[in-house]
Amino acid sequence: MKSASFEYRTPATLSEAVTLLETFENDGVDVKILAGGQSLIPMLALRVARPEVLIDLRKLKELDYIREDQGMIAIGTMTSKHAAAVSALIEAKQPLFHAATQLVGHRQIRNRGSVGGSFAHADPASEYPAVALALGMEMKVVGPQGERLIPAAEFFVTYMTTSMETNEILAEVRMPLLPAGSGWSIKEEARRNGDLALAGVCVTLKKVGGVCAEVKIAAFGVNPTAVRLTAAEDALKGQAPTAENFARAAAAGAAALNEPMSCIHASSEYRRQLVKTLTERCLIEANTRAA
Amino acid sequence: MTTKHKISLSVNGVRYEREVEARLTLADFLRHELNLSGTHVGCEHGICGVCNVLIDGASARSCLTFAVQADGADITTVEGLRNRQTGQLHPIQSAFIEAHGLQCGFCTPGFMMTTLELLKENPNPSEEEIKEALGGNLCRCTGYQSIMESVKLAATKLREQQGA
Amino acid sequence: MSIPTLPEQLPTSAIRYIGKEVKRVEDPSLVTGETEFIDNVKLPNMLHAAILRSPHPHARIVSINIKAAEQLAGVHAVLTGDDVKAWSNPGTTAPEGWGNYCMAVGKVRFVGEPVVAVAAESRYLAEDALELIEVEYDVLPPVPTPAVAMADGAPVVFEERGSNIILKKDFVWGEVDRLFAEADHVIGDSFRWNRCGANPTETFGCICTWDVVNHELTCRGAYQAPRFFALGRATGLNLLPNKVKLISHPQGGGFGGKGGPRGTDIAALLSRKANGRPVKYIEDRMEYLLAGGGQSWDRYYDAELAVKADGTVTGFRVKLIDDQGAGCEGYGTISVAKPIAAFTGPYRIEAASYDTTIVATNRAPTYPYRGYGPPPHFFVLESLMDMAARKLGMDPAELRRKNYIRPEQFPYTIPSGNEYDSGNYAAVLDKLLDMSNYKKLREEQAAARAAGRLVGIGVVSTVEPGVFDWNVYSAVGVPGVGVPEGARVAIDVFGGITVIVGFALQGQGQYTVATQVAADYFGVDMGMVKVSMASTDVAPPHFGPGGSRLGVAITGAVLGACEKLRDIFTQVVAGLMQTTPDQIELMDGRFRLKAMPEAGMALAEVAGTMLFRSDLLPPGIEPCPEATSVWTAPNRNMPDDQGRCRSYLTAANAAHVAMVEIDRQTGRTNILKYFLVDDCGTRLNPANVEGQIQGGVAQGVGAALFEEYVYNDECQPLVSTFVDYLMPTIHEVPMTEKGAVCTPSPFAPLGAKGCGEGAIHTTPATLMCAINDALAPLDLKIHETPASPHRLWKLLQQVK
Repeated sequence: MKSASFEYRTPATLSEAVTLLETFENDGVDVKILAGGQSLIPMLALRVARPEVLIDLRKLKELDYIREDQGMIAIGTMTSKHAAAVSALIEAKQPLFHAATQLVGHRQIRNRGSVGGSFAHADPASEYPAVALALGMEMKVVGPQGERLIPAAEFFVTYMTTSMETNEILAEVRMPLLPAGSGWSIKEEARRNGDLALAGVCVTLKKVGGVCAEVKIAAFGVNPTAVRLTAAEDALKGQAPTAENFARAAAAGAAALNEPMSCIHASSEYRRQLVKTLTERCLIEANTRAA
Repeated sequence: MTTKHKISLSVNGVRYEREVEARLTLADFLRHELNLSGTHVGCEHGICGVCNVLIDGASARSCLTFAVQADGADITTVEGLRNRQTGQLHPIQSAFIEAHGLQCGFCTPGFMMTTLELLKENPNPSEEEIKEALGGNLCRCTGYQSIMESVKLAATKLREQQGA
Repeated sequence: MSIPTLPEQLPTSAIRYIGKEVKRVEDPSLVTGETEFIDNVKLPNMLHAAILRSPHPHARIVSINIKAAEQLAGVHAVLTGDDVKAWSNPGTTAPEGWGNYCMAVGKVRFVGEPVVAVAAESRYLAEDALELIEVEYDVLPPVPTPAVAMADGAPVVFEERGSNIILKKDFVWGEVDRLFAEADHVIGDSFRWNRCGANPTETFGCICTWDVVNHELTCRGAYQAPRFFALGRATGLNLLPNKVKLISHPQGGGFGGKGGPRGTDIAALLSRKANGRPVKYIEDRMEYLLAGGGQSWDRYYDAELAVKADGTVTGFRVKLIDDQGAGCEGYGTISVAKPIAAFTGPYRIEAASYDTTIVATNRAPTYPYRGYGPPPHFFVLESLMDMAARKLGMDPAELRRKNYIRPEQFPYTIPSGNEYDSGNYAAVLDKLLDMSNYKKLREEQAAARAAGRLVGIGVVSTVEPGVFDWNVYSAVGVPGVGVPEGARVAIDVFGGITVIVGFALQGQGQYTVATQVAADYFGVDMGMVKVSMASTDVAPPHFGPGGSRLGVAITGAVLGACEKLRDIFTQVVAGLMQTTPDQIELMDGRFRLKAMPEAGMALAEVAGTMLFRSDLLPPGIEPCPEATSVWTAPNRNMPDDQGRCRSYLTAANAAHVAMVEIDRQTGRTNILKYFLVDDCGTRLNPANVEGQIQGGVAQGVGAALFEEYVYNDECQPLVSTFVDYLMPTIHEVPMTEKGAVCTPSPFAPLGAKGCGEGAIHTTPATLMCAINDALAPLDLKIHETPASPHRLWKLLQQVK
């Protein structure tokens, strides 16, 4: 399983990368960005992806950072997932993202894999897009026209497709800090430890006056993109954080899902059931973490 | 005519300069360009871990890395474990032998590289931590129990070595 | 000459190595990455092969255009079906006549079947060349399952055979009908075992060089059974066997399913077409999964037990439909025959019948996989035993105990004809129940059930046959009796011992076993012994690993050669000491006068004398301090008309207990606890044995819970990478607690029983029984493998 031939470029700066990308795009060349390569390289090996050119961002140290910035955490997209997984800042101030990162594959994948890659690749079974929806993350993309911020709700369009233009590069992802007193949880069901999720759910939960005030629930692995379970969120507004209410909300969220995907490991109905079960379990766990 | 790229990297402390096609994987580069064939290939799509090496100290699948991506890097492979001067085996290698942590041995270099990284970061790992670290390495022969024992024994040997 | 049947009979005052957990001689090279697996090898002028494979399960080949591929710079040969038809024959198979050419000729019969092959200067280039080949197909309706294959008007996979039924055979052993009529209970059900297979971490690989001047072939590669394989190449490629030389390389596992016949023949013919340049073919994982040696045991069972009210099981009926896939090239059919060697397990069941239908479909041809048939068979038998226990309200362990063959009954001939050598099944069960604290497990289960949890316990008992013989495979058309394994032992003038064998490493540690045996026999340090592999042109007759035989067989061969050497050396020393051979004995590596033990000669002295002082040798003694011995199991026979014969020489026994919990919401099974006790007689190297057992457990977990080759209704394979073929990781395989009992074999060298296949016979049944025990209170059952979360979830939806 050897890749087909491609040309290879390693720009030294982000602006060089953007210029390079634009040039190839304008010439009608089939060009792809190479970050960690953990998702892209298997596709090349199987020859299901055959770009003529790969632009490797590995020299862009300017995109390797994790910092607190105006009440948000900003992560440069070429930061490795492992760096994100062991970041004390992220663990302390956005534990949902921390937990999601630890669920990604195995250590070797996290060592090479970039934080930005899972956003740009938009695999529906991936954890990050769901977390992005639940947290209301923003994606900073850079193109010939300059930079812009895309909210998560607009970023993920459909299966493996984002709203980025083909001449734009994802440079940074930004997430709010977890509000004080909020609970969170992320759970997934996979065939083996570290496998792509058959279904997964993540939750943030804030209570006010003993009842659920702000609940965000997002599911992954079930639809062409990650999806907010707004029916479940609505069912919990102002409700007491009891097991019964959580079960009811989970059922509502699962029932409202667009027809889940089907594969040899999980039928559509089974995925719907998994969403219900995982939502319930996430809510219970998030509740124990919430003030 | 395919473009070749000049790369310069060190493997087990030895510097190499070569010209390679961009699509040549690091695994194939190590095995066939440098004749360091202790790193094996089992699936070529990043799941079995048989091809694990250390790139700048971090474990990685060499089948999911192009050699050109490793330009300027320090690679550690199984051939770098044994002490070339004294001929002595690395404590991890000795541990795998003593605890019978291998049968056909094909997956063993990959496991040992992962173990090298684990024990550098965590000299006294629990069983859970060992499983977490080794979850990305497949073995078809041993059923993992003797590998678990080998890693524990390696940890002990390394701690004793540090302590001495 | 008689081969010692117990370690105590060796000419040593203290056994240093046999039975001890000595470190393996194979390991230093393996842990340093020095061992020469085939893909490490580079030959001068070598080319690399890639294969274009059929995307259709069933189609006629209309045209092939290879021009552009041939013209790509760096491509040196392109092979098509026309070349293959001119230069080779369809492979020999069991039964005869169901083979294929190494590449499709006129028609493709499964997705992944080779259609065109390219030899180029790199594998990368060869794959580029494949993309330039145009093949036009005329798609035919596929045969995805036996049901379709056996229906009226079904498309015929092998038109020249006229039918999709490869073999239909009905065996009846004893008065089965009467016993079922007289039974108080008939316990029966249907069972489905889905395809799974070997998947060693190293795929198949070879380098073939066709000598275009002398019309000879040399193949280097990952060959499990070198001489057997060489014979197949000779007949396939129209060469005399002594013009085919196979050099087997150490393998990264094999488990029977390494594959390689097609890959070898294709590489050989590419070499022929490339004017004799060596051609290397390394199968990639996708090729292995789709069309290599990795698919086995695609089965539909209907089976029942005849049971008396007191729990005595008197009869066992099995009806098996086996989906062999597109031809018998892999000898996958033998997995239908092997269960005959242990058909009724450890039980005194009086009579049995076996109604077998082997069917051709457009799935990939099946190949051997560790266990070679009994793993699914015991899943069926043990599930029925549990159903019987539930029906009678008996504890499943006690039902088994009640039916065990008793120690005093050995050697015991089972209804299907094989003879079990020895066993103490109750002792094994007792040790297991004690070790696992079985009573407490049941109490824990009761408490868990009261809390609404689905917790189950499986207690399973099997016979793991060892040391195979061809004779029982006659059931599917394999001829012959006896499986020779040869070793030559040579002593040199420094007292070093060389053991020459015909097989390469595969992981089971047989080089270490051979070293242990030779070292203990002659009282030398293991470091004085070297095991060398001989290529097929110079090796003694051999088979190599397979059928849980090699530990026993190579021990027998090495001991036989040692005994011959002892004989010769005794004569030499007697001559030199001017006495008679009966006055000389070998003890601890010295040939000494019985009457005066201080007077004697060391091995090195005797060898040196033989080679450098021919004037001192007694008449008739050749200057040859070497001997060859070829071992085969004693007392084997030809099968009768019902396939009955003494086949597998040894009968190891294992009993396993597993405790599982099923998550009601997700259907996932967690293995909470796992205990096992194994009795394989004398353990030549206990660490090796435990390793084989745990490896078998892991594969059993894979088969019961994770691994499945899925095909859709159009016979398209949906599993082609490790993303979907789910090999268990360290997270999924339980760390088991193991116990040992030793009931030596009275017939096998040193009392050892074959144990290499081990736990895979037992683990799938254990886990499936545990899962069904968990489901029993809900009146649900699952008789299909793997018991994936999705399957269990679907089942649980019936309870709402």
